[in-house]
Amino acid sequence: MIFQKTKGIHIEGRKGMSKNNPLVEYFDPEFVYIHLLQGNCPLKPVVEVGDIVKVGQVVAVREGFGAMSIHASISGEVTAVKKVWHSSGKMVNALEIKNDFKNILDESIKPTKDIESLSRQDLIEMMKNAGLSGLGGAGFPTYIKYQTKETIDTVIINAVECEPYLTCDYHFILTYPEKLLKGLTYMMKAADAEKGVIVYKNYNVKIKKVLTELLKDYKNIELFEVKDVYPAGWEKYIIERVTGKTYQNLPSEIGVIENNSTTAIIYSDIVEHNIPLISRPITITGEGIKNPTNFYCPIGTKVSELVEKCGGYVEGLDTKKANYIAGGPMTGNAIFIDDLIINDTLGAVIIKPIIEGLHPECLGCGKCAEVCPAYLTPTEIRDAFKNKDVDLIKQLNANKCVQCGLCSYVCPSHIEITDYVVRAKGLLRKGAK
Amino acid sequence: MARFAGGKGPFLRLADQKDHGTGIMMRDFLIGLLPVILFAWYKNGIAVYAQGNISFIEMLWPLFFVIIGGLSSVFMEAIFFYFTDKEAKTLKGLMKRIKTSYGLIPGIILALMLPVYTPIWVLMFGCFVANIIGKMLFGGFGYNIFNPALLGYAAIKFGLMGVVNAAGGYFNVNELLIDSYAGATPLTTLQFVDTLSYANVVAPYGNLWDFFFGMTPGGMGETGFAIMLLSYVWLSARKVVRWQTPLLYVGAVFGLSWLVGILNGDSGIWFPLYSIFTGGVMFGAIFMITEPVTTPKNPLGKTVFILFLAVLTILFRFVGSLPEGVGTSIIVMNIFALPIDKYTAIIRAHRWKKPAYMQMGVLFGILLIIAVYAVLKAGNVYSALILPLMQIGGGF
Repeated sequence: MIFQKTKGIHIEGRKGMSKNNPLVEYFDPEFVYIHLLQGNCPLKPVVEVGDIVKVGQVVAVREGFGAMSIHASISGEVTAVKKVWHSSGKMVNALEIKNDFKNILDESIKPTKDIESLSRQDLIEMMKNAGLSGLGGAGFPTYIKYQTKETIDTVIINAVECEPYLTCDYHFILTYPEKLLKGLTYMMKAADAEKGVIVYKNYNVKIKKVLTELLKDYKNIELFEVKDVYPAGWEKYIIERVTGKTYQNLPSEIGVIENNSTTAIIYSDIVEHNIPLISRPITITGEGIKNPTNFYCPIGTKVSELVEKCGGYVEGLDTKKANYIAGGPMTGNAIFIDDLIINDTLGAVIIKPIIEGLHPECLGCGKCAEVCPAYLTPTEIRDAFKNKDVDLIKQLNANKCVQCGLCSYVCPSHIEITDYVVRAKGLLRKGAK
Repeated sequence: MARFAGGKGPFLRLADQKDHGTGIMMRDFLIGLLPVILFAWYKNGIAVYAQGNISFIEMLWPLFFVIIGGLSSVFMEAIFFYFTDKEAKTLKGLMKRIKTSYGLIPGIILALMLPVYTPIWVLMFGCFVANIIGKMLFGGFGYNIFNPALLGYAAIKFGLMGVVNAAGGYFNVNELLIDSYAGATPLTTLQFVDTLSYANVVAPYGNLWDFFFGMTPGGMGETGFAIMLLSYVWLSARKVVRWQTPLLYVGAVFGLSWLVGILNGDSGIWFPLYSIFTGGVMFGAIFMITEPVTTPKNPLGKTVFILFLAVLTILFRFVGSLPEGVGTSIIVMNIFALPIDKYTAIIRAHRWKKPAYMQMGVLFGILLIIAVYAVLKAGNVYSALILPLMQIGGGF
């Protein structure tokens, strides 16, 4: 009771809506919009309005920590710099590129000769030049993980996709299983690691079947099964289960690097064909969508075009009483207008009607504290936040919160408890400055 | 382009689903109380009627008593809302307030704790103290510090017990006819027996099975240990209460009582059993220490809270002059729920790493000291062993 290890809780998956529909490739949007924002860093554009760009050409760079380049995802003319919606729930500047439908590739995109001879440094340099970032949702520049000075012995591929509704990773793996294994092999080389582990959820037997078949040709790669709980896809959770060890800040402390499965698949393209990060899979789903579908499309595509391809919203959907969620239902943000653009971290768009009900006061049942995977007590953090008690928030370790959203999920009184903790974290940052 | 509603994530909520939410929890809690209500009716109504001691109308009295307790609580809250809340001036607003205030539960629990022939006005006074003074004045549901039902009970116990005793005290009509009943309730007997033995303490009230099934004098519903096991299973299965909470409390009281028994020279298992069957230990364990608002919120805090409670129960029961230690100890511990919650939250956040040793040490140190004192004082070791030692050591 006291030493309980957080096991996560089972959440109704609701993946069935889009799970049985195959991955649809959609590569000819008329316009794409490249956000001038990566992670929390503004980007510096290196092209001007009126320039003609090719597929894979560098259009913007990130400077300072995590410096890397961002590429055009289609060929055509840069027509404007506009403010568009970003998955973080804000409007940011973006380069508008008009498609010329000629699909001219940049000179840099060509098959790599002699992959075997690439050194560790070359492989890391490739990640940096291709602008590869964590595609699971964090958007952290991948090459920084590999530049670590610690010795790495294991690379873990996270194919868990523990959030409800989302199925794009699942379909992406089933479409390109070989690329996943190749990408992992290159990652192991880039980290000098001896072991690779692919972690998947226990009910995804198809992934297990396909990968076991292919793994006969690969040495040093293992499969690892986790239970169907949330947050089983959390980095710390996976690493604790796979290695049995815990870490304080970064997994490299215990010799582990963890990457999303989509990142690995894209990385195999980067290494073999020098195609930078210009496309990603995305799930369009929810109760408000007619035919939920998974798409594989260029970064910068308008979500509304994809929604149209899904058959649009269901009839009679009152949009003022529905949520337009960018990202998974647990960690995503609500967008006010359905004018969202796909960026590198956006894995899903969910349209979901709001369910209304009576919401009484917090009754103090403590369910939020019971489920917290970081062993926090959200109610106490909320009270400390209300009193603006920065010291207490610090003592309560509020900055360890991973914003998984479980506390709000289990709350019987429908309290926005996750939001309180997030705001307390904000207060802590402000207080620290 | 369509406008969409905003909102805070996560967008998937258990409370939105059909079978979850605070309202459902409270409904399940009421269903958990149902066996106890039926037991109270059986013991004080049907069983007495079956022996021909009361009339048919009087048989319905216990049921009526519980219903009055619940309804008068809701009614008082409605009046309070009407006069204090601007939104509650219309019927619709008032209904919404009542629906999210759950006033029924303290009223019913209070009625179940009182002796059956308590005058109605005493019950209503208790409901007033419970719901208006104990709950609404603190800010309503979710903000009260003391368990409302217990506060009402305490007000009656300390202020109006004379009236209750004059109206019949703890005995129902069946029990009045039995001569061997010495004290008002079995536990009061404990105060004036010379030596602790089965014959002195248990035998006047039957055997341990009578205690197990609750056919002993006491509050209306608080004696039925066996029937409350049903409530326990139901409430744990529905996850309204954590199954560990009542188990730990009853277990701790059992263990400490056994220690007290051993120190008093009787190591028989009857004494700890007798201790948990009486005085509403089970009633408190299931319906009061699991009351979420007035107890700590995180699992570790709950554990510490329960251990403190068990120790205080023993202290009040065997050392102090309050035979029913359960209610008093819960009220006392309600005050400490807030600091316990805060400290255990800090301890939990650091996951037993260094910074928490201090708080942890203080918490369990206090617990240990009270526990040792209570057990030793209750057992006669205190006067036999500790006092001479202290005199030798300089008489401090």
